[in-house]
Amino acid sequence: MTSLSHPTAGGTSAPASPHSVVHTKVYGDSEHLQVPAAAAHVSSEQMLDWFKQMLLIREFELRCMQAYQEKKIGGFCHVYIGQEAVAVGCTAAVQHKDPIVTAYRDHGHALARGMDPKHCMAEMFGRIGGCAKGKGGSMHMFDRDNNLYGGHGIVGAQTPLGAGLAFGCKYMDEVIDGKPNSRVSLCFLGDGALNQGAFHEAMNLAGLFDIPVIYVVENNGYSMGTAIARGTTMAHSLITKAAGYGIDGYVVDGMDVVGVYADMKHIADKCRATSRPAFVDMRTYRYKGHSMSDPRKYRTKEEEEVFEMHDPIGRLEARLKTAGLLTDDSLKAMQKAVRDTVRDAITWSDESPIPPMAELYHDVFVEPWGPYTGSSQPAMNGGTANQPSMRTIDTKEELS
Amino acid sequence: MSAVREIEYRDALREAMSEEMRRDKRVFLLGEEVAEYNGAYKISRGMLEEFGARRVIDTPISESGFAGLAIGAAMMGLKPVVEFMSWSFSLVAADPILNNAPKMLYMSGGQFGCPVVFRGNDGAGGQLGSTHSWCVEGLFSNVPGIKIAIPSNPYDAKGLLKTAIRGSDPVFFLESERMLGNKGEVPEEEYLIPFGQAKVIRSGTDCTLASWGRPVHFCMEAAEEMQKLGISCEVIDLRTVRPLDIGTVVRSVKKTGACVVVDQSWSFGSPGSELASQVHRHCFDDLDNYVHRVHSADVPTPYATNLEQEYLPNARKIAEAVRSATYNL
Amino acid sequence: MPINVTMPRLSDTMEQGTVVKWYVKVGDKVASGQVIADIETDKATMEQAVFDEGIIAKLVCPEGKQVKVGDVIAVLAEDGESVSDAASASSAAPAPRGAVSAAPASNAAAAPNAATASSTAPVATRTIVADVHATDVTDGDRMRVSPLARRMASEMGVELSQVQGSGPGGRVVKRDVLLAAENRSAAVPATRGAQIAANELVAATPSMMPAAAASAGALVHGGQSIEVPVSNMRGIIAKRLVESKQQIPHYQVTMKFSMDAVLALRGSLNEQLASMEVKLSVNDFIVRACALAMAKNPFFNASWAGDRILLHQQVNVGVAIALPEEKGGGLVVGVVKDANLKSLRQISGEIRSLGEKARTKGLSMDEMSGATFTISNLGMFGVDNFTAIINPPNSAILACGAALEQPVVRNHQLVVGFEMAATLSLDHRVIDGAMASKYLQSLKQFVEGPTMLLV
Repeated sequence: MTSLSHPTAGGTSAPASPHSVVHTKVYGDSEHLQVPAAAAHVSSEQMLDWFKQMLLIREFELRCMQAYQEKKIGGFCHVYIGQEAVAVGCTAAVQHKDPIVTAYRDHGHALARGMDPKHCMAEMFGRIGGCAKGKGGSMHMFDRDNNLYGGHGIVGAQTPLGAGLAFGCKYMDEVIDGKPNSRVSLCFLGDGALNQGAFHEAMNLAGLFDIPVIYVVENNGYSMGTAIARGTTMAHSLITKAAGYGIDGYVVDGMDVVGVYADMKHIADKCRATSRPAFVDMRTYRYKGHSMSDPRKYRTKEEEEVFEMHDPIGRLEARLKTAGLLTDDSLKAMQKAVRDTVRDAITWSDESPIPPMAELYHDVFVEPWGPYTGSSQPAMNGGTANQPSMRTIDTKEELS
Repeated sequence: MSAVREIEYRDALREAMSEEMRRDKRVFLLGEEVAEYNGAYKISRGMLEEFGARRVIDTPISESGFAGLAIGAAMMGLKPVVEFMSWSFSLVAADPILNNAPKMLYMSGGQFGCPVVFRGNDGAGGQLGSTHSWCVEGLFSNVPGIKIAIPSNPYDAKGLLKTAIRGSDPVFFLESERMLGNKGEVPEEEYLIPFGQAKVIRSGTDCTLASWGRPVHFCMEAAEEMQKLGISCEVIDLRTVRPLDIGTVVRSVKKTGACVVVDQSWSFGSPGSELASQVHRHCFDDLDNYVHRVHSADVPTPYATNLEQEYLPNARKIAEAVRSATYNL
Repeated sequence: MPINVTMPRLSDTMEQGTVVKWYVKVGDKVASGQVIADIETDKATMEQAVFDEGIIAKLVCPEGKQVKVGDVIAVLAEDGESVSDAASASSAAPAPRGAVSAAPASNAAAAPNAATASSTAPVATRTIVADVHATDVTDGDRMRVSPLARRMASEMGVELSQVQGSGPGGRVVKRDVLLAAENRSAAVPATRGAQIAANELVAATPSMMPAAAASAGALVHGGQSIEVPVSNMRGIIAKRLVESKQQIPHYQVTMKFSMDAVLALRGSLNEQLASMEVKLSVNDFIVRACALAMAKNPFFNASWAGDRILLHQQVNVGVAIALPEEKGGGLVVGVVKDANLKSLRQISGEIRSLGEKARTKGLSMDEMSGATFTISNLGMFGVDNFTAIINPPNSAILACGAALEQPVVRNHQLVVGFEMAATLSLDHRVIDGAMASKYLQSLKQFVEGPTMLLV
């Protein structure tokens, strides 16, 4: 196992180590983007917090796999293991009021955004305590209180929505409240979504209308089982696509949470100030299969091992230990705390009731009519998930 | 109040949008050519001047993009009105309008609704050929989570559009290029028309004619013809197909014992077939004949004038159906 | 504690899997995440890692053997645990650690809430009375008649076989029936009279029965009995109620309710709603109170099913409706579905229309099906108190008497107030006496604090 290439590089370009990526920017001002962590004022508390968040996501995802195998989770389930630094670093780089929308590999974003793991797990168990009362499932995590506008199951479908969220924020601030725009929106997508029409339409609109949305491509090298160069042109330089829409493009090493934070902070601050979109080629890797039934025959063990050596959690762990911020004992305590949190989430979810049958016709329309009983927030948002509002029957339906 | 003024269907639509935009800053209009061009069909004429480019927004030809953008904005709490120059063009936006708008509230467990109105021309415009002559109600009425209004006259167009914009759920609002110039009485005072309330626009005793949108006018013509033969038709304008006011139709059929459903979309799996099925269910013991249906012919829309005329529902076909349904052939 | 490793579900459609190859043997130490086997699924062959660390104590599933998802395939001994102990303990206690279940079939049952267990059980849909208005079959010769014509002929007493159809294929349509009726009344009025008399004979009640109809073979009692033919409905009532009373261990519990608050609330609501033509009856309040009390007492919304009890997910309250004597008498049970989710006004409207329909056209199968609890109210007939027979597959029925004005003790004072006695008949296989008392207590709270019925 010698010359390994990031799948991004494809067969035609020169082999490159996955982590020799540079922070580049090809459109807009010609300044070379290289933001050292120190410049971004990263405190030791922040780093420890991110470390813990990444541990939590990994443990959570591991136990999701286990729960799936035990048939507690149904349907499709896509885990985030390997990509933790992206959700954690990006979320840290924006403000809580900034909307986030993502695709179907969404548990990591939900947890990084602050969703209680028990609501996330209960959703996958199909229980009333889930973030969407068990009606959305693994691919559709929504959290109004934490400004998470969903996991979306159709590849690329969230990209116009991301533009719409940012458009909405800007409209509210500028047109309704008469003050400058204050929010940027983060729209995550996988590299597979780059080939969808919706993505290109959304980029065109974002560039055209000055919409402050950041498209973060979580480029893990594979759309399901297809290496990126087999499905996407200019795979070695995705930011050229952004250039075509007049949008600033960046390449960021997604396996280093501190770097993700520093770069994304710079990008987000600029988008907020200029009210313009951005495009980020976030180089990352998923250790597990696309979904639970993927034997990963399309790539080599050696390739997986290389990326595992550059594991975002392992990297930060080494850094924290070198800096004297983490010891073997404190690491053990942290791991135990995380394990307990996830175990509690599983127990809680096991005990959360299945949704009552009345939920079937609930939340279809806000306004009740016919068989539809209106809508209410899930319990995690202070709603009364267990008691849908009174069923109202259109008297016109009562016939004969 | 003196005589009620008459305005065109397109003016009624504009009045509805403008009034709601004055009332609520969250409402804005976007679509192809809606602003500087004053609307491809002059529906939004003058709106750019009054509301400015931030609220009357020209989009590129990019239905999937701007339909999705509007849904994102609606999730944020805005109330977009999206104009499709033709509903035929909405098919390239099928994923946002069918997979996102109607399901967002459900999939988020009640957290994010989609108060967005999609509106535009529906049905054959006149020699536009097959790709531009879609009656999308045939496709879209199958999807739960959306409301569908298909007004037949200026009064209903205004009252229903105001209700649509003011509501909290996604609405597909289907207009007709062939009716935009139709004039009708529309009062100066504000009014709203609730969804799911059909209107009996002509009473009769022998046969119920149920329809919506443009074919309602053909039903009235046919009813006039039938009167000459001594067959008294009751004509019902459903106005919205979701919700469908089945009660009004059932009450009428229980009286007449015969029913003809007229629907401009194709017959297979259409709102017309749904209405007929519901009438059969609720009026089984009241029907003297099976429910007859008049649809567009089950072929792609032809270009040639004579073929297109024969393809569409018309008064002659409706009259034949009434005579058959009442055993007068 | 030993840790069981089970056959994982590795795809959405996988039911069984095969261990193609073991990478470990008994005694091997394994770390979390270590691959221990190749597993063949319906889609692919995949590597399977363990989630926990430990020592392989036992390989339960040999290579090449297909086992069900959830079956134990290996056992791990935890740190400090002996391998042989773990191997034997695991066979004695199949599911040592809650996280890993050994039998996939028990998955649903393992869920803590009782509701889960019955979620797959269908709500029983039988009712006490079968379809009472099944149409008579007269179309042996495949005569074609429009539904409207058939209904009109039956209402007007027109003999369809005598009518010439003018529709397609000779279908008899409305105008044919009208024509036939007109001709008949003009030509032979006597025929019609005879026909009606014959029709009435079938539905007649004893009081209407002419003495002359007594015939040979009658049930003789002192030589003076009159034979009454048993209608379909009467036959079914007889059969089902005998079954109920013979098979269900019935017992009764009675409680008295103060009705002053309900009557006052009903009065003021009816005053306010008069313009909307809403008129709530005491029974409407009782139906809603029963439904809400059932939601709090799930065993009252249940059925005995031989080896288990089914807790129904829907609360459907049946209301016994007496049919008018001139229609042949008898009773049917109309069903208010999801009664716990409906407002008083909805319940009232539904019961009224069920009653009207039962007394005129007859109820549809759907309108009589699916009751999970039944109420019989004879209060309007001035009855003080009575007991009812359970309507299978219900587990209880409530018999309500009249709200009677009588001397009552309130706050140590003898005053005049309204009281109602209600008697529950219960299936002791499902509901014990203490549960019955608890249910009546819930009911009492709702009836005596009726504002709770409004929200």
